[in-house]
Amino acid sequence: MPAPLNPQLEMVALDAFALREPASKRSYTVLRLRTRSGAIGYGECSRITPSDLSALRVAIQGKEASSFESIRRGLSVTPSALAGLDIAMLDLVGKFTKAPVYQVLGGPTRNQARALARIDGDTDEAVVAAVSQARAAGHKAFLIPVPATHSPNHSATLVNATRQRLDRVRSAAGAGCDFVLAGAGNLTAGDASSLAAAFERSHLLWFDEPCPLSNLSAASRIAGENVTPVGFGRFAADAGIFLDLLRSDAIDVVRPDLGRHGITRIRRISAVAEPYYVAVAPFHDGGPIATAAALNLAASIPNFFIQQIPYPAAEQDRRMRARLAGDATEEIKDGFLQLPRGPGLGVSVNEAAFTEYLEREG
Amino acid sequence: MNRRHFLSGAGGTLAAGRLSGGPARRPALSFCDCSLAPQATTPTGADALAAVGSKVRITNLKTFGVTIPGAPPDRPYVFVKLETNDGLVGWGEGTLEGKAGAVLACINDFREFLIGADPMPVEHHWQSMYVHSFYRAGPVIGSAISAIDQALWDLRGKILGVPVYKLLGGPNDPDGVRGYYVANARTLEDLKRLRETATAQGITAFKGGLPSYYEWIETNEKITEAIRHVQTLREGLGPDIDIAVDFHAKTSPSVASVIIKELDPLNLLWVEEPCPPENVRAMARIARRVNTPIATGERLVASYGVRELVEQSVVDIIQTDANHVGGLTGLWKVAALANASSISMAPHACEGPIGMLASLHLDASIPNFLIQECCGQAVPQIRDKVWEEWFGFPAMRMVKGKYPLPDKPGLGFELTEDALKKYQFAGSRPMARVFHKDGSVAEW
Repeated sequence: MPAPLNPQLEMVALDAFALREPASKRSYTVLRLRTRSGAIGYGECSRITPSDLSALRVAIQGKEASSFESIRRGLSVTPSALAGLDIAMLDLVGKFTKAPVYQVLGGPTRNQARALARIDGDTDEAVVAAVSQARAAGHKAFLIPVPATHSPNHSATLVNATRQRLDRVRSAAGAGCDFVLAGAGNLTAGDASSLAAAFERSHLLWFDEPCPLSNLSAASRIAGENVTPVGFGRFAADAGIFLDLLRSDAIDVVRPDLGRHGITRIRRISAVAEPYYVAVAPFHDGGPIATAAALNLAASIPNFFIQQIPYPAAEQDRRMRARLAGDATEEIKDGFLQLPRGPGLGVSVNEAAFTEYLEREG
Repeated sequence: MNRRHFLSGAGGTLAAGRLSGGPARRPALSFCDCSLAPQATTPTGADALAAVGSKVRITNLKTFGVTIPGAPPDRPYVFVKLETNDGLVGWGEGTLEGKAGAVLACINDFREFLIGADPMPVEHHWQSMYVHSFYRAGPVIGSAISAIDQALWDLRGKILGVPVYKLLGGPNDPDGVRGYYVANARTLEDLKRLRETATAQGITAFKGGLPSYYEWIETNEKITEAIRHVQTLREGLGPDIDIAVDFHAKTSPSVASVIIKELDPLNLLWVEEPCPPENVRAMARIARRVNTPIATGERLVASYGVRELVEQSVVDIIQTDANHVGGLTGLWKVAALANASSISMAPHACEGPIGMLASLHLDASIPNFLIQECCGQAVPQIRDKVWEEWFGFPAMRMVKGKYPLPDKPGLGFELTEDALKKYQFAGSRPMARVFHKDGSVAEW
């Protein structure tokens, strides 16, 4: 006979708090999951619709937080909502077992996680300033956007502009730093291929989203004709798409979006990548609770390489993230994030910050 | 003892090096004078992870060869027991048909990977055993890793205080895990009786085999006999019971294709190992030409071992075995890889009870689970009595067509060394050797 539900694990209530950073306007939603005994787990997703929230509230009834895999059965809500629920459920399992999530999931596989700062900026000056600021905060790897081009397929211009930008950030960052070139999926296949060829001997960590993901044949050609490693995945909806890229020899770094897949599905995607000797570098453009989730994920898989995290340029945004989840979670030491050590996600969430930063219309 | 304090604290007070044989005391590697020898051996993995690990330490590793009556003589059980400084123990199984002695020795080769180490980071240990073996795992290393991996999962569950299926995200079904038995009947009359027993017990599926051994091209007589045999299975068991047929790689791709073509109308659950496992393209050729789902995988090790099957979408069902594939860690990764290609999992299990009970935890949590083997029969056999004597519950006996989930922490059973003493190891025995009429070697 099935065992009765454990009140410390039995899920009874789910609430969502949509938050927004004051300066960057980056928004994300914190999920709060409560069990019958009153234990609280937190998750984060990019956004959740009212109908998805209702569907999840129904789905959790009569289930334990440990059923983080099987709860997906028959649920048709957006991947983001499931990702947030997944993280909150694992937080609860960790708190129940008094162990960090990475120990629940078979880790730790490492003792720290290499960090990748996503750099924004329209001009070389802005990009260089942001790199310098992130470098001062301890970052040693940077995701650098390819300069905007107004004349697609005029590759020589784009290659020169990119070379100039990379030279400038390289000298601003100093020795011992590494770079990912971010195509953001909107270059033409020709331009992407020219860039991949031009930087073959620059030892970039990789060239990210060099062309639209839907253009699988272009992706294979870019990866097949050049030794510059390529990364894809921010826009990939499921593990099958990664499998297609892997069996087409079109990918060197899998980049599943934490806000879309949560911890559990990225572990599955990592398992798909492992027999191809391909590294995992999750995409993450959310808040600090998701960063804590990312760190637990990094320490539970063998083929993790680096974790992208937003580097908010504005002081008030950084303050918000620290107010929400403490300073330690996103602190960088010599290019690495430190693993949380407490039970669950290992982060103390400050609910007072919810009301302060609640997303408002307009 | 409150074991909670062993977890999630900073800095273990019990440094690994204080226990004998711990990684900290390992001498610098000097296995090779060549320039490729590792330049640095410190910090070792276990030490480097101490600050983010638990304070539990593995203090001993014991192996057991166990021979019970009534079981096939080629597969005395190979068990491993890991002991810890907090008193908890973990059990695992790496029974490998015909090669018990080799696996027992191989498990002992991994001693120094484990003594003094934290049992929690099972993924780290798995990687170290697999990667640091240098020679990639075949069945012997795979079975040794499997045994240790299961024992680590058993310990992890006990340390955390939950059954392993809860660490894996299950259960899909709190009533248990769907299974099948061996169809131990050949004549129409016996099969009809078996059908009645099955209906009474709620059993939903059986597996049968082929009646002979086959050369790489076969005669009309042998092919017709094989087809009639399976037709009789369907006729006797009726249309509502699922039937799988194990070709056991006795057939070549050519002969298998001819036979399966005529089995297509029987709507079998699957045909298993229609040819030997080394050649994925050969199996793909069979799958292309028939409609019956194809299952394979019991002899494959790690997700690396099934990668080609999955990426070429050759089969419908993968059957890797928790005792060979690399334990629950290996089986979970195979399942994740298979799921990315919409392939179902029907884990193989025809050895001892520990690997089977371990498999249930995984079955209960993966999204692409189909059905679990146990090689039992509708009527309990001697082995079932021995297992109940060991564990105090009828292990791997189905209730209404499902194996109940073990609900205690870890893999969900208690086992003592005393219980095994009655069944002393009678040594390795080879698998059966069969030959064709002309004396040439036959697959079975």
